[in-house]
Parts: sequence; structure tokens; C-alpha cells
Amino acid sequence: MYLTKQEERMLDGEYGWANQVSMKILVRLGDLFGATRLIPVQSAHLSGVSYKHLGDAAIDFLNELASKGGRAKTPSSLNPSSLDQEILVKRYSNDRVVKQQNIIELYEKMLIQPTLTCTSYYLQEPKPGQHLAWAESSAVVYANSVLKAWTNREGAPSALAAALVGKTPNYGMHQPENRQPNVRVKLETELQTETDYGALGIHLGKLLKEKIPTLEGLRGSDDELKQLGAAMASSGMTAIFNTETLTKRQKLETVPVEAKDIEEAKSSLCTTEQAPDLIFVGCPHCSVNEVKRVAHAMEGQKVRKNTELWVCTSRHVKERAKNHVNAIERAGGHVLCDTCVLVTWIEDIGLDTLMTNSAKTAFYAPTLNDVNVVLRPLNQCMEAACQR
Amino acid sequence: MKTKILNGRPIVPGHRQGPALVSKKPLSFLGGVDYNSGVVIEKDHDLKGEPLKDKVLCFPSGHGSTVGSYVLYSLVKKGLGPKAIVNQVADTVVVVGALIAEVPMVDQIDIKQIKTGYIVEVDGDKGTVKVTSRKG
Repeated sequence: MYLTKQEERMLDGEYGWANQVSMKILVRLGDLFGATRLIPVQSAHLSGVSYKHLGDAAIDFLNELASKGGRAKTPSSLNPSSLDQEILVKRYSNDRVVKQQNIIELYEKMLIQPTLTCTSYYLQEPKPGQHLAWAESSAVVYANSVLKAWTNREGAPSALAAALVGKTPNYGMHQPENRQPNVRVKLETELQTETDYGALGIHLGKLLKEKIPTLEGLRGSDDELKQLGAAMASSGMTAIFNTETLTKRQKLETVPVEAKDIEEAKSSLCTTEQAPDLIFVGCPHCSVNEVKRVAHAMEGQKVRKNTELWVCTSRHVKERAKNHVNAIERAGGHVLCDTCVLVTWIEDIGLDTLMTNSAKTAFYAPTLNDVNVVLRPLNQCMEAACQR
Repeated sequence: MKTKILNGRPIVPGHRQGPALVSKKPLSFLGGVDYNSGVVIEKDHDLKGEPLKDKVLCFPSGHGSTVGSYVLYSLVKKGLGPKAIVNQVADTVVVVGALIAEVPMVDQIDIKQIKTGYIVEVDGDKGTVKVTSRKG
């Protein structure tokens, strides 16, 4: 891999340990995956924030980086943490709250913005063709496929290294030839709800692994495509999908998807038929429009006794959707910022049956949270949340 | 004593020797290895209960969360980590973990040729693994 004089010096340790170790990570990964040089990134988005998943181990490394000169050189944002500052902060032990705060402060010391959301693209939308270094697989797929920006599927350490150096190795999704579809998905059924999009994602992720699909003529809303991508990245290694129609000359392997595939994916994601004690919307974090849909469905309703309704989003979207947020809170629901079900300890606060409209959450929650899951579209989730 | 040299790909530089701890299964450092003790805790894993301390850890590949890199770093910092790592196929979690923890690492090695307890010398600069069996 070609390095500039300055990059060489950074690698040799002239700019301190934090820059050196970050550079080592980028150069080593670049060499392994066939990069030719480092390119500047417009932004970095980091996973590895929730204390639930990081544990104490990561604090050691973050501490070392922050105290040895690690400072972000490109606008950098953070994934959700394990709690919010209104509801959950009161429900966990002081130890958990303090450790979570410690992690966020270490990132802040490195000049990384504590956005604490997996949909940072609602705060600052990347432009088509911009190079990014993003972790958080749902945001990666959304950036590449819907926003047409360019990012690899970074891990927590490589996104952090890119933030501190301001650059990323130019392999994979940063090369146009690697972004072309190599399998055609022929959809032989109509998708009705965002949950159908999610179920399609789970099905395709398993089937296609790292292949790049084109779903010719698929016209979902941005919110629906967000569900599709998040699910695809959960069950597979997808970083991008395409919806353009190919020319007749492009002969690609074709994979048909039938109604029964979607139905099977949905039923495989439900682990119980029991009534939920938690109804959760906001994986990935809600857009303004999704908060609005919840608010409309809750109009004139009250959340059922012994049931909680959580709507998770960023502080930014919560502020922009203020009126809808008020409506949800009047009905007895909670609009939580900075966190979501998958990165917090719902299993420790007496919640054990979860209903959600998110296929990604349904895919992960039985193992990450050790809870039972019911997957239903938004309108059915809201019916379950309300008193009759 | 029988000695053979296996040629692989250098991943993280450094030269270390120690007893092999060999697994047939992929290993996730996050959730799979206890952060406080350095003992493998992954359910149904063939190394379950084994401490990694001072071993040359040989396994096919890493899997699981990329936060696993930080776990490897902390274990090594606390003196509970492996001496060196040998993989069949290097994945980014293990590569980054070994890199930041400065654990010599080589991949593209047929680990079936190594058995737990063999003395293994890992050369992370050249990408070679020298294996010495205890048996005659």
C-alpha cells in the first residue's frame, strides 16, 4: 500500500501512540484486502458504545487512546448506548450508569460526537459518492444503497481508527467495480408492510451471504428500504443492495422470492404467541415520519396496563417530531433517545416478551436479550399496545 | 521429537514460542472468552474451560462482534492473553485484536497438523510456524 511521507511518519509513531496504532490498523487491513492507498473520509460512524456489549475490556483500550492523543480528524458520530437519561437511567444499578457514562466521555475526549443513534444520517445526510468509514451494519447498507455514499462495513476498531486518522483504505465498497450487483432477485410477490421488507431482508441475507443483489423495480419508501437493509445485514454480510433494472445483456444468476419465502421468514422470527409486555418500535432508530405514524395510531388511545410502549430514536428526531412525541407520551408511551432494546438489559427489568415491527430486532433479541419475540407490522403492534 | 515447519502468511510481526492450544471451532472473543479470567466460556466450544494464558492459540478463524478485538487487547494487557495466534483464515476481529495487543500472528496454516501440547514457534515476520511434537 502506498503511504505519503506524513502517513509514514504517523505509522512510525511521530504523532503519538494513538495515531500510530490507528494507522497500523488501517494499513494492515488495507494490505490484507488489497487497498492501494488511504483516502480521506467525509465522516466516521462508530459502533462499540453500549456498555452491555463492550463490557470493561474496551474501556481499557479507549482510555489508552484518549489519554495518548487520540482526536477525531473527521466528523464522527456514535451508535446507541445502553440507556437513556429519562427512563432507563433510573432502572439500572449505579455501576452500569457510571460505566456507560465513562465510555461516552472517553469518546467525547477524542472529539467524537455523542449522537448515540444508529441513524446518524438523519442528522447529517451524506451526499452521493462521498467516502465514509461507518460501522453499524444497518447504517452501512442504508448509506451505500439508499443514499449512494460509499462505505465498507467497518468494525468498531476500524471505524475508530478511521475517525482518528481521518482516512480509510480504498478497498471494497470504495471501488466502483465492487459495487455492481452479481445476483438478480426476482420478487414474485407484493410486499405490504415494513415487516414484509424486513422479512425479505432476513431471507436474502441468509441466502446471498456477501453477494450483491439487485431487486429490480422494487419501489419501497426510504423507511421500508431501511428495514430491508438492516435485516439483510443481520442475517448476512451484505453491505449494499441495488434496485435498478439491468439491461438485457447483463446475464446474472437469478434468485426467485415467493410469497411463501416471506411468510416463512416472518414465522421463523416469531418465538411465541403470548401477549407482549414490551412493544418496541425504532430499530433502526425512527425517522420523523415513523414517529408520526406511531403518534397517529395512538390517537385517542391509552397504552394497556402492564404493557410498555417504547419508541426509540435520536435526540435530533425527537426534537423535530415534538408534537408527535407529545401525543405518544399523552397516550402513555415512552419516546427514548440514546438507546434501543438490543443494546440494553430489558431482560433484567422484568420484560420477557417483546413485540416489534423490526425484523432485525426479532432476529437478534432472542439471543442478545434472551426474550421471546413476536414480529408484527406497526398497526398490529399499536393495536396490541392499546387498551380495548 | 519431530519438528516440521509450516509456511503461512505473516499478519502481525514478532517471534514467540509456547505450548499449542488447538481448537477445531471458530472462536468469538466477545462473549466467548471471559474478560476477567481469560478462560474460554463459549457454549459447546471444544476449548470451553481452557485458559488462553501463555498458549499459542490455534483455531480456524474468528467470528462474532468486532468488539472482540478489544477483549483480546485487555486480556493481553492483564497478562491473561495468548502468546501468539495461528489461524486458518484471518478475520478482521482477530487481526485487529492481535495488532493492537502486539501478539504475533500467522494465518493460512493447516492447523490440523498441530495438536494441543505441541511446542510451537510462531514467526510473525516471515509467516512461518515451527511445530515440535513431544512424542518420539
